[in-house]
Amino acid sequence: MRILIGIGNSGRNDDGLGWVFLDRIKQEAGFSADIEYRYQLQVEDAELISRAKHVIFVDSYHGVLPGGFKFEPCKVAPDSVFTSHVLPPGAILHLCRELYGKKPGADLMLIQGSSWELHSGLSPEAEIRLGRALEFFRKKLPF
Amino acid sequence: MIDPVTRVEGHGRVTVQLDEAGNVDQARFHVVEFRGFERFIQGHPYWEAPLLVQRLCGICPVSHHLAAAKAVDQIYGVDPRDLHPTATMIRRLLHYAQLFQSHALHFFYLASPDLLFGMEAPVEKRSVGAVAMEHGDLARKGIQMRQFGQELIKALAGKKIHGITAVPGGIHKTFYPEERDYFLSDNVTPSVDTMIQWSQEVVTFIKDYHDKNFMWLDSFASYPSGHLGLVGTDGALELYDGRMRAIDSRGEVTLNDVDNDSYLKYFGEGVEKWSYMKFPFLRHLGRQHGWNRVGPLARLNVCDSISTPLANAELREFKAYTNGRPNNHTMHSHWARLIEILHCAEQIRNLLNEPRLLEEVERPPVSRRPEGIGIIEAPRGTLIHHYKADEKGSITKCNLIVSTTHNNEPMNRAVRWVAKNVLDQQKAITDGMLNQVEVAIRAYDPCLSCATHAMGQMPLKLTVFDADGAVVAEHVKHPV
Repeated sequence: MRILIGIGNSGRNDDGLGWVFLDRIKQEAGFSADIEYRYQLQVEDAELISRAKHVIFVDSYHGVLPGGFKFEPCKVAPDSVFTSHVLPPGAILHLCRELYGKKPGADLMLIQGSSWELHSGLSPEAEIRLGRALEFFRKKLPF
Repeated sequence: MIDPVTRVEGHGRVTVQLDEAGNVDQARFHVVEFRGFERFIQGHPYWEAPLLVQRLCGICPVSHHLAAAKAVDQIYGVDPRDLHPTATMIRRLLHYAQLFQSHALHFFYLASPDLLFGMEAPVEKRSVGAVAMEHGDLARKGIQMRQFGQELIKALAGKKIHGITAVPGGIHKTFYPEERDYFLSDNVTPSVDTMIQWSQEVVTFIKDYHDKNFMWLDSFASYPSGHLGLVGTDGALELYDGRMRAIDSRGEVTLNDVDNDSYLKYFGEGVEKWSYMKFPFLRHLGRQHGWNRVGPLARLNVCDSISTPLANAELREFKAYTNGRPNNHTMHSHWARLIEILHCAEQIRNLLNEPRLLEEVERPPVSRRPEGIGIIEAPRGTLIHHYKADEKGSITKCNLIVSTTHNNEPMNRAVRWVAKNVLDQQKAITDGMLNQVEVAIRAYDPCLSCATHAMGQMPLKLTVFDADGAVVAEHVKHPV
């Protein structure tokens, strides 16, 4: 099983980049993977990814990224701070290993956002960056 | 000042004021967000209320969804007792799933680090991550219990957070056999029978823990108080639709099984300039004496019995510990919460086996009304939603008294207890001491975002001031 997990909130402009990425990519020919939408990661997601061969976390990024997006391996983060408000993907990978003894392959797709207001829809800048990230990802299909 | 208080849902702060001799002069629990939902929902169609108001919270949206639904049912023209039986079953099933997952979240993710590692444990130990590392079996069960509740919510509401189940006078969709059967058998998510078994195990865990730690569990942040909750017509614990009962710290009835419609007659709300959270109280007892705890401990105190056998046996044991008198031990809230987990698991199994659960629901013909009041027992306690609508169906008034708001005065009392008994006359305030303030608050599983109807990430802080107003100690952490 392969999983894409989009993290964010589509009611907060570009914070919804992870979700919109999933909305678009699932319509691509050749795409076959489970998709999950999350406002934030939770501890129980460790169990979810323990059943996966490969997982890709897709999230918006507050800083500046050359080219507007970044795709990289997701590293296990044993020293992460565990909170109910913020749980980074690396911490989920760590919990997955510790609790379930599983080591799924994991990547991180980060897309730079610009606007974080209480509105639906992406900013024009984020739309352009999303397009680039999708173009990059299409080359990986069939995923 | 503890700022932020952590492993609670929401943002608040605690201030402790010392006098010149170093004694605690004043201790307060402040909630500093602005509440806005009651105002900005005005003008929206009444049927939108269950959808909009659940956005108050990401943890207990189902509770707000159902309380609002019960209220707008009445505006639509249907009383709870006249709702189609299947609609009532589906809503109850959703409600028990919500209570089950929320209680699991609180016990396993938020409270268990204090119990397993101690209140003085280093901060890196005080998290569900550390529980996962050192108590893997407990953590795995906790995760799957929460997951069970979440998956059941998703099956009924379409998604785990902010889904749709209730519509005015009915339900949004029929529950199908294959959806029901998933929860009756072991799959990726274990069956409801497994949930009952694990719930019994975790009740046994807390009783064993109590046997070994009763000295501090019985004394820590304990104080006499009133207790408020819903009961059925037979006096049994009622979580979805019942009458309000309150008792004082000696067990005398102070609110005698009154109907939901009369809540305004009995409840007032006090305000303090240092907090956005109000202070509800029983009008006939006054602001000083009319406040009540709500939530699992209060509910088990006010009810006479529980309708499911396993939980009822645990209730009898729980009540026997205080010889049938009200239990005012704040830390016993965790014990009570786990008995409720067991009750919810039993109720979920009962409902999943109800033949009528799968029927299609038709909404009855109705006559519109101008007002509706919905009261349920949310995970954290009694939750009141009250709406008025004009002839076009637009909401003209909304009043929400949220569980955590009832617990405002009790949490302040708990903070004062810790300040007096732990911080008083200490030359140095340690991190472990300050964590004890949080432990006392955490026993109430407060949801401060609900209580203020605020949005965003909301942590909590604590500061100790000396008599001159200088900061003696400060506790600042990221929200957990």
